[in-house]
Parts: sequence; C-alpha cells; structure tokens
Amino acid sequence: MTSNLLFAIGTIGHFVGWVFLASAIFQIARTLSRSGDTGRTASLRSAFGSTIFALVGFGLGITLAGDGKALSVPLAWPDMHPLGWLFGLAMIGTVTFALQSISAITVAERKSKIVGALIFLAIAAFSLWWVMRGDNPFTLHRGHIDLSAGAFGSILTLLIATAALMGWVGRSAESSERVRGVSTQLTLFAGAALFMIPFAWLMVTSVKEDRDIAGTDGLNWVPKVSQTVPYFNDNNPLFEAQFRGRTVQAALERVVDAEQIELRVLKPMNQSGYIFKISKNEAKRIPNEAPVVSLDWDGVAATAFVQEDLPDGTRRVERLESGKPTGEVRTVPRAETEAVRTVGARWRNYPDALEFLPPEANMGLTYLKNTVILVVLSVIGTLLSCSLVAYGFSRLRFPGRETLFSILLATMMLPAAVTLLPQFLIFRSFGWIDSLLPLWVPTFFASAFNVFLLRSFFQQIPFELEDAAKIDGCGYLRTFWSVLMPQVKPALTVVAVWTFLGAWNNFLGPLIYVNSQENMPIAYALQLFMGERAGEPGLLMAFTALSIIPVLLLFAFSQRYFIEGMSLSGLGGR
Amino acid sequence: MKQLAWLIFALLLGLATSVSASERQPIIVWGLAPGPDSKGTDALVREFERRYPQYEVKLLSMGAGEMNPQKLLTSIVGGVPPDVIRQDRFSISDWASRGAFMPLDEFIARDRNEPNGVREEDYYDSTWQETIFDGKVYGVPMDADDRILYWNRRVFREKSDALRKAGLDPERPPRTWSEVLAYSEVLTEKNPDGTLKVAGYVPNYGNTWLYLYAFQMNASFLSEDGRTCTLYSPEAEEALQFMVDGYKLLGGYDNAKRFTDSFVGAENDPMINDRVAMKVDGDWILNTMSRYAPDLDFGVAPAPVPDDRYYRRGKFANEKDQFITWQGGFSYAIPTGAPNSEGAWQLIKFMSSTEGRMIEARAQAAWEVQRGREFIPRIKATRESNEQMFAEFRPKMPNYAAALQEHIRMSDYGRVRPPTMVGQLLWDEHVRAIEFACRGDKTPERALRDGQAVVQRELDSYYRFEKLPEADLRVPFALAGIALIGLTVAFWFRVRSMRLGRLARRETLWGFLLISPWILGFIVFTIGPMVASLVFSFTQYNVLSEARWVGLDNYQLLFGEEKDNVLKAFGNVMYLAGIGVPLGLITGLAIALILNTASRGIRTYRTIYYLPSIVPTIASSVLWAWILSPDSAKGLVNNLWTKTLAPWMGLTPPAWLTVADWSKPSLIIMGLWGAGGGMILWLAGLKGIPQSLYEAASIDGANPRRQFWNITMPMLSPILLFNTVMGVITVMQEFDRVYVFRGTSGSAGPSDSLLTPVLHLFVNAFNYFKMGYASALAWIVFAVILILTVLQLKLSKKWVYTESS
Repeated sequence: MTSNLLFAIGTIGHFVGWVFLASAIFQIARTLSRSGDTGRTASLRSAFGSTIFALVGFGLGITLAGDGKALSVPLAWPDMHPLGWLFGLAMIGTVTFALQSISAITVAERKSKIVGALIFLAIAAFSLWWVMRGDNPFTLHRGHIDLSAGAFGSILTLLIATAALMGWVGRSAESSERVRGVSTQLTLFAGAALFMIPFAWLMVTSVKEDRDIAGTDGLNWVPKVSQTVPYFNDNNPLFEAQFRGRTVQAALERVVDAEQIELRVLKPMNQSGYIFKISKNEAKRIPNEAPVVSLDWDGVAATAFVQEDLPDGTRRVERLESGKPTGEVRTVPRAETEAVRTVGARWRNYPDALEFLPPEANMGLTYLKNTVILVVLSVIGTLLSCSLVAYGFSRLRFPGRETLFSILLATMMLPAAVTLLPQFLIFRSFGWIDSLLPLWVPTFFASAFNVFLLRSFFQQIPFELEDAAKIDGCGYLRTFWSVLMPQVKPALTVVAVWTFLGAWNNFLGPLIYVNSQENMPIAYALQLFMGERAGEPGLLMAFTALSIIPVLLLFAFSQRYFIEGMSLSGLGGR
Repeated sequence: MKQLAWLIFALLLGLATSVSASERQPIIVWGLAPGPDSKGTDALVREFERRYPQYEVKLLSMGAGEMNPQKLLTSIVGGVPPDVIRQDRFSISDWASRGAFMPLDEFIARDRNEPNGVREEDYYDSTWQETIFDGKVYGVPMDADDRILYWNRRVFREKSDALRKAGLDPERPPRTWSEVLAYSEVLTEKNPDGTLKVAGYVPNYGNTWLYLYAFQMNASFLSEDGRTCTLYSPEAEEALQFMVDGYKLLGGYDNAKRFTDSFVGAENDPMINDRVAMKVDGDWILNTMSRYAPDLDFGVAPAPVPDDRYYRRGKFANEKDQFITWQGGFSYAIPTGAPNSEGAWQLIKFMSSTEGRMIEARAQAAWEVQRGREFIPRIKATRESNEQMFAEFRPKMPNYAAALQEHIRMSDYGRVRPPTMVGQLLWDEHVRAIEFACRGDKTPERALRDGQAVVQRELDSYYRFEKLPEADLRVPFALAGIALIGLTVAFWFRVRSMRLGRLARRETLWGFLLISPWILGFIVFTIGPMVASLVFSFTQYNVLSEARWVGLDNYQLLFGEEKDNVLKAFGNVMYLAGIGVPLGLITGLAIALILNTASRGIRTYRTIYYLPSIVPTIASSVLWAWILSPDSAKGLVNNLWTKTLAPWMGLTPPAWLTVADWSKPSLIIMGLWGAGGGMILWLAGLKGIPQSLYEAASIDGANPRRQFWNITMPMLSPILLFNTVMGVITVMQEFDRVYVFRGTSGSAGPSDSLLTPVLHLFVNAFNYFKMGYASALAWIVFAVILILTVLQLKLSKKWVYTESS
C-alpha cells in the first residue's frame, strides 16, 4: 500500500514536472521576446520558479516511480469499483465545502456550507463502505513507457518548440489571447480527430478483403487487393448474357446443339442457380479472373497466375513475364504459392453486399424506399397533427381544456413498453402485421412531447395578430395555417428533425411488425444482414456504410435546420 | 427545404415504378439463407421451380429456424407466416403444442405412394420421433448430425515429448473425461499475459453444450411423462462440473471465450490453424475443413466419456453402449395459416426426396470440384439417401473418409433431446446454466436447479392452464368503453348547462375538433392499451389460445421467483443511468465549453462532433461491435491497447462486450461517441446567457471558476434538468443496442449483464408469448420511471434556476 502510494505520488510528480518544464520554457521565450523591463523581471522570476518546480517534480518521479529507469514515463491507474471514484469525488466535495465554511462571512452561509460538507461526507462514507465490501477493493496498476533516447529527445524538442512558439506568440498581454486561441484549436482538432476515427475505420474496413480483417498480421489501416489477370478457362467457361431482363454472369451447364447452350447463373448472387437456354450468339464469352501468385520457379522468384485449382490440393499455374502470360504451365502445391497483393481498395464489397440481398430487396432500394416512406409519412403526420392539437390547446378556450392538457402531460412519462403488447394485438386485429402501417399511422394522432413543445411556442405569439386575422374574416383553420404556422417555423423544424431521426432509427417497431423483404426498412435489414454475414466483415461494413450514407447526405443538405432545431428543443424544454 | 422535398418525391416516384409483379404463386421459406457457396441449395430450388412452374420459391433467413423464435411467432400470430420453415428439430414439439405448426399426417398419407412421397420407414427412428407431438407428425427431418471428437495430430506430435512425460500417449486421442483434461492441460499454451495461445480442449467449443456430457452420464432432462423437468440431477451436475473443470484449466470461461470468439471466418478456424488441439463437433465441419485445409492431419474418435462409463464400473457396470453421441438436425415444417400450404408441401416433399437430395449434393459437389476442393456429403435423415450419397461421394482423402465413417457408425448410438412443449425454454435455460456455472457465478448445482425451476414453472403453467377460469377479455373492454361513453355524456351535459354564447359555443366546438386527433389517439393507442395491459397482467395469455385468469400470480412471480432477473435488469440500467448519463452530460458540456471559446471553425467542429449522434443506432452498434472486438488483431481499441497499455503497464486488454465486467462500460463508451447531441443543447444554452452577467462579474472581481459556478451553471441548470430527465428515461428503456449485442440465445450478454427491463419484457412477450407476465413487468417499468422522474423534478426545485425566482 505504501509503495503504491509513493509510486502514485512519484507519477503525479513526474507529470507535474512536464507541465512546469513547459511553463518555464514558455516564460523564458516570453522574456526574450518582450521589450519592457518590468515585464521581463516578472517573467524571469516565474520562469525560475517553474524550473525549480519542474526539477522537484522530475526528482520525485525518478526517485519514487522511476524503478531505476531514468528515461521512462511512469504510469499509474487505480482500478476500483465505480463507487470508488464517487468516493474520491465526494471527498473533494467535502473538503471544498469545509474550506468554504471556514471562510464564510454570514452564519447562514456557514451553516449551509457545513450541511453541504456533511452530505458529501455521507456519500463518501457510503461509497467507501460499499467498495470495501468487495474482494479486491483497490489495485493500483503501475508501469512505465520506456522511451529510447531518440524518442525522449524528440518529445523534448517538440515540447520546447511548442512552448517557445507560444511564448513568442503571446509576448504581449493582448496576444496572450492568441495563445489561448491556438490551444483551443489544438484541443478541438484532437477531439474531432478522435470522433472521426470510427468513421474512418468503417470506410477503410468496408473496402478491405476479408483476409485483412481477421488475419494474423494484425490490424492494418492500408487495405490491399489481390491481383488478378483475365484468363479464358476452357474447362470452366464463363458467359455474360441477358436473363429476365438483366445482365448476369453464368457458367456453361451443357451444350444443347450447334445453336444453343444452357447456362447456369452465378452472379448476381440472388439469381444464382437458375438454368436457362440461350443461343450461342447472344451469350458473350468473358474471361475468368485468375488470381496472380508469387512462387518459386526453378529456384527463381516469379509471378504466375492460377489457371485452375485441382481437387488434390494443387493448382495449375502459368508463369507471367512482366504481366504477360508466357505459356509455361506447371502444377504446384497450393501451399507454395502466395497471393500477390497491392495497396488498393476493394470497392467490389459494395455491389457484392447488395447483390447478396434477396431479389425482392432490389439491391437494397426497397429498404431505402420503405425507410423514406416511413420517414416522410411520419414527419407529415407528426407536423400536421401536433400543430393542430397544440393550436387547439393554446389559442382556443373551451371547457375541460386544462384537465385534458394535464392528462396529455401525464402521458409523456408513460414508457412505450406499457402499450407495446396491446398495440401489437390492436394492429393484429386490423390485419396490419407485416406492413408499415403500424409504424406511421400513430404519428397522425399527435404525440405528447411535440404538442407540449409546439404549444409553448404558440403561446408566445401575441394575440393581436390573431385578432387582426379574425377581423379580416379568417376562420380558425385559415388563421392557423396562414397566420400562426409561419410564426412557429423554427419549432416545426425541431419537431420534424426529431421525428425524422426517430423514424429512421426505429428498430423495435420493424422487428415486431415487419416480416417480408417488401416492407423492410434499413435498420432492421442491417440487423438481419449482421446475423447472416458475420463471417464477411468487409461486406457487413460496406452495408453499414451504405445504411449511414443517406442520413449523412441529408444532414449535409440541411445541416442548419438540424442544428438550429436541436438547439431550440433544448430551450423549449425549459 | 423545398428542393429537398422535391428530391424525396422524385426518389419515391422512381422507386415506386421499379417494382415488378410476378404471376407465379410464391412459396416463402424461412431459415435457409443462400450464400456464395450454397450452390446445392440453389440448384435444388431452381430445379423445383422448373418442375413446378406455378411456384416461385423465396428463400429468406430472417434469423429464424435457429434459436430465435420471436420472428416466427409474431408472424404466425399476425396471420402472415412463411410457407415453409426450416426448424431445429428439438423445438418442433414446442411449436406444435401451441398450435403454431400444421400437422402433416394428411399430406403424408395422401402422397405416400408417390415416388417422392414421405414414408416413415425410410427415416432413422430417432429423427422421426423428434417430429411427433401428441401422436401427430409436424415436420419432415432433413439431416441427422451427430458429434465426435476431432483431434489435431500435428499439435499432438509437436508436444509428443511433453505428453509422454505426463504419461500420455501422443499417438492416440483421449477416451475418458479425466484423460481429456490431462491432455488438455499439457497441450494448452498461454501467452505471458494469461491469454490463450493454443487451447487443448475447450469443453463447449465445437458443438457439445451440456446435452452431450449429460447424455454420456445417462442424465435425462425430463421425466418419462414429460411433466417434470430434471435439468438438475447428480449426473447432470457431474457433467457440468466436468465442463467447469475443463474451463478452469484454460484460465476461465471468459478467457477461453475470448480466444474462441476471435476466429471469425471459416478460413481462420483454430483447428485448421493448430490453435485448438481437440474439439467435439458435428459432421458439418468436414466441408469447411476440406475447403480451407484439405491437407490437415487430423484424427477422429468417439467423444470421450466419463471414466466409469469407459471402464464399465460403478453405475455403468451393466451399460451396453460404451460410447454414445448426441444427435440433432433440422426439419422442414409448415406454420399454421401458411398461405400456400400445398406448394409448401410439394417443396418439402421434393427437398426431402432422395432425388432432391442427390440433385443438391451433385450441384454442390460440382461447385466444390470446380473450386479445387473436395465435397463431403452431409449425413441425411434417410438411409436410402445416405447410401446413395456415400456410394457416389466417398471422400478420397483417407482421414476425411474415416471421419465420415465414424459419424455414420456413431449414428446408431445417438441420443436426442426429449420432445416437449418447453423445448426452447429448456434449451435457453440450459445454456444459461452452462454460462453461470462456467463463469463461476453459481455452483453447477445452483445453476441447474435455478434453470430447472424456470422450466418446471412453465411446464406447470402449461398443465394447469385447462383448470384456470376462462377470461373473457371482452368484458373489461366493454366496461371501459361504457365508462368512456358515460364520461363523454356527463361532460356533454356539463357543457350544455354552462349556457355559453354563440361564439363561445363555436370556439368550444372548434377546440374539440382541433384536439380530436390527440383524443382519438389517446383512446386507441394509449388509454385503451393501458387498460388492456392492466387486464393482461392478471391473466395467462399466449395470444394463440384464449386467456385465463391467474389473479396476482404474475406480480407474485416478479417479486418472488423472478426477483433476481428483474433486479438484475433494473440494476443494469441503473448502472447505465448512474454512470453513463453523467459522463455523457459532462463530455457534451466540456465540448460545448471549449467550442464556445473558440474564435473560428465553430461551425465545422460543431458538425464533426454532432455527426456521430445521428448515426442510426443499429449501424453504430454494428460498427462498435467490431471496434470493440476482443481480438487485438481485429478490434481497433484492443489493437491500440496491445501496442500501448499492455507493454507499458502489463494490462491485458479487456474483452469488452464478451465479459460481464466490461459489457456495460462498452455501452457507455459507445454512448460517449454520441455525446454531440447533448453538446448542441449546451451550446445553445451557453449562447443564451447574457454577456452582461459575465461583465458585471468581472468588475466584481470574480475569477473564471467562480463565474462558471455562479453564472454559467445556474443559467444552464434548466438544460441540465432536461438532459438528465430525458437521458434517464431513455436509458431506462434501453433496447436496440442490447438486442444487437446479446447474442442469439441464453443469457442477455455475458452473465445477463446486458439484460434490461425492456429486453426482458420483449423476450417474454415475443419469444415465449407470456403476455400476462410481460404486461405485469411493463407496469413495473412504468412505476420505476414515474418514481425516478417525479423524484428528479421534485429535487430540481432545489437547484434549477428559474427566471421568475
């Protein structure tokens, strides 16, 4: 325990040392670039102070947490129950409040600070008690980053350069703003990079060959593709022909007569296995894609392409000379060949992923269509019904209004889970199972949260506007549509955006109600795809990327509405 | 915005015209997913379509047929079932008992004399018996898989010295349980950080589950009459103890699972790559092995049995069979209400005929040979097709031929799971028992007894059903309807008595007209279902048959026998709410604060931080499942971890979603990625704080820290309240992500660590169709959310700043 504590102190000292070192360099650079004498002395003094602190910090680091290695960064991480962290936070709170109670001016203030300190102490005591009940309440993981002299030097140089640059930039009082600006930008940039990494990874993975994803050589960021050369394999001829109105790739099943042949569809995958007759002229012979391999050819490293894999575990290969076939053919064991791969993206994952889908999915377009229908109808339904209802609740006076509105507010707290099962039975009795109807029809009957939001916006519109319209002879609907609706446009955007995201994301609904490909939206299709194609992550990631792209595109087009809408909804929640 | 609307409209129009119609009658098949290598299935189906041109076959996987019954059940209940379902045979009686499958006896009798007819005598008895419930046949068996031991001779040879030193013969596989453990101990190799490099024998890798070991102990899972569940028995306990021991010497269940889960894709199979020395598996792996490792040097033997059984001593003294195996396989069945049952029957008949099976095998064989691979036929459920198949496709490679022979030989010693109406539940509970025991969460006895109690309860409720009073669900609804009409009439009279002026009357009329969508929706989609839900919670109701009153039984269950599950589910979401929600809020606020001070690039950064929060949940779940993959060669996070934290601090990377301790933190990390949604709200709030407040504070000499706590936070407190309340409500209803991550059967995530109330509700409602129990649970969820929200709103009076005060 003591050694752990000392190590922790040493580690903290080490990092404090770095901070003060940076600060010292910053101050020195500032001193050098400053003109006035008074400023100089002050900077120099603080530079001196920082250096002392840095030395003390590093000293602590090396003696307490160095473990005999000078050029290493000590690391320590307390491993404990989440409540252990709560204990730490609560202790900080206790101490803060205790200190504030000492410095408090009025009696009442002191009293409230003491109460605060006691509450935090109680929380701390509870979490400590809870944590100590476990078997291993606390372990300190400790270790080092071992740095080579070169690495150490470059980090040091980078630090000096940065701090010096900042010191120079911030040499005057006004320009210290600039330093802050630069560091803000740096922080934001680092954060943004972190947030973008999953996207980058998704894109890279979606164009990888499967062997690169789960291979033994580890994770790589540079996708590679296997090289192929076109080769007309007479033992296994390939054709391109028209079948049921679309171009397919097919293998020869048998030769019927001099005129006609029978072909078996290979691609697209969802037509695979169909056998059809076609006249020889209409079928175009196409080459196979023969993989290129490197191998040992009589003691010389050579490349060749695979003509055919043979059932006995060997392959027949033909040697390539600067990419051209040479006609030299031989049979070699499969293990002695190595696929030739070059850096590149396997874009084929995208069409392949879509071709895997059943024919009804129409290359995924059916999913897109269903999702768009769902989203558009939901948005229309929600906007229409919620604004009408909100109008009724906010601008018209009628008996029972307040009672009904408080009922509406109460339903906001009702979780969907309560009504899930009976709603399933209701829609079943309507015969709506396996359709999109149960997913969008309810949106035409107003939802509590949106009504609440719109009502508060309607209420802010001055009554004078409405009265003027009334005098002009407008009825309620006319007033609603031409006078009030334009006034609450921003709020309508909020509702539209929330509904859009909700409908696009809806997974539980389709999971329960939709069975057939014809009615399936993207979210559910993706989950099914994940179950079927878990072994082909390249395709899975391609499909995932395809499912995200429409949302991102829409976002790109209407970013302003999204962000403004979202901002407003927060204020509406007041 | 207008252009956008036109764009969408044009898109819809274009899509709508691309739909094509077909005149042929569709036959929809679930549970058969065509893949790039399934040429046999393709050929079989296309040949059927050629011979019966009036039909069009549509193959869909739908996650059905396997272990997830939800989809099939909702479709049958909803009256839109598929025509054919490929179903794991053991669960056929389960479905049949609920009237979900059609009895096939009439079809069978009608066509039995056709050349393609289905005849009982052609089938292996055990496979046929599995499809019978209450004397009727509900499915046609397709295959008859059984399990034997595969051992990698290469690994044995490499370690032959070590094996000899331990007194084990490297030339032969283990025959008994104690031998298999001894071999595994020697053959297992670990990395310095304790993870597995080579595993000797992983008890549940391949396909054994508890069933195989328990059968070897002669344990049964049900009593003779099918009314008592005997998941727990001293024999089953011993079998489970063997599994626990097997995992113990691999460094624990999670360690082994992390190892076996990391091999994605058939070409990375650990047996092929010498990473697993022995496994017990079914004949289906032969094709994969021949495809990716035709020259693999492996041997086969019957699965090792308990020592007493092998040496025929103790209670096995008079045992006839020294070695046995567990037999399973799939069947084709027709769901009740299938729109095209005649076509479905024709398809089943064709697919299960010897001719059909041979067409499938020949096409598959041609494809494999063309790819330079050997085709190895699967073991089918009829003798005739097996004989023909082996005559035509006997594997040329001797070890593959031997393996096939061993599978066929062991078919005569097959044991099958007992047909029961609770087959699915028994399976799920048995999987849970394995996981709980092997993880060390429960003793084997406790784990089995707990599972047994659940299954027994279901059996009891099945048999008690007839004795329960019938519940006419129309009565409560009629009462509710009358009450509603009464209320309306009363209200009408009150309004009339108010003597409103003409204008006021008109306003009242319009007022009600305008809010009528909500009133209608409220009655149909809210209050009606609420009443229904309340009524259901006092019944036993599976939708397929009528409801029965059970009084408070469902609530008693929730607070009694099911208490642990319910507490676990709420505990899990509390964890997410207690840690995830504050962390998400702090992250969002931190980004917003930094962004708010930036002088330029705000718009760009705002977009970048916001972007992840609009990625659809399912898509981000799929993505993160891969990013958080425990295998450091594949998962982004663990890859970085092994390059940094592992060498620096000696920390083994966590297995994230696959271990109980890390699965919820994984969800929280995923959630943090979406913190940009909250950030936007914070940012709007920050912009709304009048600058004059800060100026005044600066003049008073308040430092930035004081300004933050005394101006910024109070001004943001309404947004904090809004975000907290919404965040907690959302987390309490967590479903999508845990549904994606939970795996197909057994526990919800490792050791139920991803079980949430809504998932528990969903599984009970739509997997087991226990509508009553699920409704009761829904009310508990409601109560908890209500209490939490009211509590937060009450407390908020203390800390939320409102402008009026």
